[in-house]
Amino acid sequence: MGRIVLDQVSKSFGDVEVIPPLNLTIEDGEFAVFVGPSGCGKSTLLRMIAGLEELTSGSIAIDDQDVTAVPPSKRGLAMVFQSYALYPHMTVRKNIGFPLRMEKMPQAEIDKRVEAAALSLNLTDYLDRKPGQLSGGQRQRVAIGRAIVRDPSAFLFDEPLSNLDAALRVGMRLEISEMHERMKTTMIYVTHDQVEAMTMANKIVVLQAGVIEQIGSPLDLYHKPQNVFVAGFIGSPKMNIFSGPEAEKFGAHTIGIRPEHTDVSMTSGTWIGRVGVAEHLGSDTFIHVHDTGLAGMITVRITGDVSVKHGDTIYLTPQAEQIHKFDAAGMRIE
Amino acid sequence: MSDRKLPRLLQTPAVLLLLVWMLVPLGMTLYFSFIRYVLNNLRRPEWTTPSPSNWRGFGNYEFVLNSKDFLLAIQNSLFIVCSILFLTIILGILIAVLINKSFPGQGIVRVLLISPFFVMPAVNAVLWINMILDPVLGLQGIAVAGLNDLIEGLRQMPVLGGFFSLWPQFEPISFRATQTSAIAVIMMVTWQWTPFAVLILMTSLQSEDQQQKEAAVLDGASTWSQFRFLTLPHLGRPIAIVVMIQAIFHLSLYAEIEIVSRGNGNKNLPYLIGEFANNNIGAASATGIFAVILANIVAIFLLRMVGKTLME
Ligand SMILES: Nc1ncnc2c1ncn2[C@@H]1O[C@H](COP(=O)(O)OP(=O)(O)O)[C@@H](O)[C@H]1O
Ligand SMILES: [Mg+2]
Repeated sequence: MGRIVLDQVSKSFGDVEVIPPLNLTIEDGEFAVFVGPSGCGKSTLLRMIAGLEELTSGSIAIDDQDVTAVPPSKRGLAMVFQSYALYPHMTVRKNIGFPLRMEKMPQAEIDKRVEAAALSLNLTDYLDRKPGQLSGGQRQRVAIGRAIVRDPSAFLFDEPLSNLDAALRVGMRLEISEMHERMKTTMIYVTHDQVEAMTMANKIVVLQAGVIEQIGSPLDLYHKPQNVFVAGFIGSPKMNIFSGPEAEKFGAHTIGIRPEHTDVSMTSGTWIGRVGVAEHLGSDTFIHVHDTGLAGMITVRITGDVSVKHGDTIYLTPQAEQIHKFDAAGMRIE
Repeated sequence: MSDRKLPRLLQTPAVLLLLVWMLVPLGMTLYFSFIRYVLNNLRRPEWTTPSPSNWRGFGNYEFVLNSKDFLLAIQNSLFIVCSILFLTIILGILIAVLINKSFPGQGIVRVLLISPFFVMPAVNAVLWINMILDPVLGLQGIAVAGLNDLIEGLRQMPVLGGFFSLWPQFEPISFRATQTSAIAVIMMVTWQWTPFAVLILMTSLQSEDQQQKEAAVLDGASTWSQFRFLTLPHLGRPIAIVVMIQAIFHLSLYAEIEIVSRGNGNKNLPYLIGEFANNNIGAASATGIFAVILANIVAIFLLRMVGKTLME
């Protein structure tokens, strides 16, 4: 079990209110991702759930039990830190077994559980090494192993992949997703990378300056961003967002159109512009278009390879049903 | 010239200088330790100039080994060094952990804690033996006298007086005596060198990874377990360094021993060398060679220890 409910939770450091009161429910078995720009309070929120940071006000309940005053180790949660936070003087075996040892579990049982965790994480050959002798990905696995053996009611991850190189990050992303599919345990995952959020989450919580901008499934957020911030934050390349007379034509203060929802022609279209840079990925082509009179730069994404080059005149036509409209306050208009 | 020769050539002066710096004194000591060489001898004036014709073989070494003070000096050297190391490390860890927490007035407390280290050893010894440990005029004398007065007063009480009259009078301890002078030296040097340990260990504590501690908290580790399994291993290397440096310094203690008791019952090797050197340079040199051997044994022992902690 692992249903986590935050009720009017807020946090201030001195006079600075980092997180204004917020409500949030994470259902049992959910993979929830907190995503938002750096410094928006994701880690603080996660640390409050873990019990490492005291609440300024509000309460937290896990499985309908108020844990606001319960010490971290008694909350039944396991956390994986960005820096891995492995114990450098202990072998991998000791590291993974440490929480069990602190529970005074019999040594035979500890050994059994450590071996099992190591097997599932491909760490069996490294059990007698020290963390210093492992690669980044292996250290990450050890940190996850240390979390798994405790059999927690929820896992908390704080940007666990940001110290890994790009290729490894994709691999670990999959492994964590698979782990969730297998164990069905609640997971809360903090990241500033919207790709990680989109690929891993059941439920994404978009934060900005400590405020929840939107909660929803990845596709909810993609198709129906509630405001301009979410529209710009989710999706890669970023949505093109602009205001002005062209937006007013659609009856909105601001409109947004995703790069993949714009048709391109060399002869005719709604908007005209000049090609700045064309990025050829093979499967896709990203064209950055200047001088449209709409925004500084419009990005479009075309499937497959097209031959355009710097300086070409290009016509863009937005797919009308894919245009997102926002009012003057930046909120979505249906 | 091959590309290796030039760097070697450029290193040569420095290496030569270092060799001369170390080898000449060591060579002279060795040479003196094998000849008869005294500063004053009216019957044998030829012994007052060092010359190979006064060759004595291992005679000086035999003389030193047979002197009644030699074994005592070695024992004392080791006893003093080990006691100081033990005390400074324990106190150093306790104080460093204590002041590593943030509290008001932290800066001033830290500066005050370090200050004993800047007192000159001789001054330190004079202060301790006269103002603190003196059985009459020092703090010790005053405290013991006060305690005795207090007990005297309690004896006058109506009912409990009988109980207190069973208590003995307290006797102040003389720290210049044969049995206690080493203790006095240990106390004063410990007081002076604990700050050194605190300084090094505190620096190391500040570099301790806080996320590891948080992970340990989540893993259910108590404060003691965090200290035992995280902080102590983290301090292993700096402790080894403190032990190493202090051992080297305290094997050559001199001023404190001179001031406390003039070596009465409390000679260490350097002090014995000093005594011999009043006249018998040959014997002093032989003792010096013994001191070098002792220092090497201690150093090898310590290096092993340091090496072990570094491996972990
Ligand atoms: N211990 C602290 N003391 C004061 N301010 C803090 C502390 N921890 C975090 N903050 C501030 O709170 C804000 C949110 O921090 P954090 O939760 O780490 O952001 P994120 O993880 O989203 O990047 C930041 O502005 C940061 O400066
Ligand atoms: Mg963070």
